[in-house]
Amino acid sequence: MDTQSAAHLLFIVYAIVVLGGGIMAVVAKSLVRALVGLVLTLFGVAGMYLLMAAPFMALMQILIYVGAVVVLIFFSIMLTNATSRGDEAKPRSGLRIFLALVAAAIPAGLLALVAWTQSTATDAVQTPVEISIDQLGKALLNEYVLAFELISVVLFVAMAGAVLLGFERRKSK
Amino acid sequence: MSEPLFLYQAVALLLLFLGIFGIITRKSLVGMIIAVELMLNGAGLAIVASGQLTGAPADLAQLSSLLVMGLAAAEATLVLAIILVVAKRFGTVETDRVSELEG
Repeated sequence: MDTQSAAHLLFIVYAIVVLGGGIMAVVAKSLVRALVGLVLTLFGVAGMYLLMAAPFMALMQILIYVGAVVVLIFFSIMLTNATSRGDEAKPRSGLRIFLALVAAAIPAGLLALVAWTQSTATDAVQTPVEISIDQLGKALLNEYVLAFELISVVLFVAMAGAVLLGFERRKSK
Repeated sequence: MSEPLFLYQAVALLLLFLGIFGIITRKSLVGMIIAVELMLNGAGLAIVASGQLTGAPADLAQLSSLLVMGLAAAEATLVLAIILVVAKRFGTVETDRVSELEG
């Protein structure tokens, strides 16, 4: 098997993992199962980053999403007592599901149309170039240093806000 | 498989589709963040694909996607705190019952 067909096979496997995980994350009755679906999707997307010759992005995907975000969501499932017999287990109305399908299909379909018509017009390359970590680090501290500093401010404000909300809750009790 | 860029973007758009569908049909706030994370992943995938598979600067695309991940982490922190406050005050995180506004 040459590398090209191996890449195609891997893409199909990752696409199945991403979509299966995504569907599981959206329709599962139990929130813990939905979270497992989200983790599957995250790993599938990390695999796609590897296929696109971006190994640093794949590592960051696993480190940030699976290591931080999923753990936070798991804590919120635990702390809000969202059991499998709880809120999510109640049946949904068919009209609401139909409207949700329409509302999701319109923007996704329009964007897919644009992506399809533009993908033949762009200068798409077949073999992506790999960007090394020191190139990324230099770009982060030279050209894009403002964005780098701003994202740390945003993270700090979010953490301070979370702590403040926690204090507010305790004081009002 | 002549258009790898479109295939990656199709996967990203399907994640957007699932995210919007989930955010409308989920009944609890925690289910809604899971759907939002799906959409943010689709965004990151589309950004990296358009940087890696076209002539656009690839380092800019990877750094933008890292920015999206940082925002996702910040958003998850804040949303967790808000969900905890809502759960404490209303006793539930079901969206249909958390509908009172306090002036």
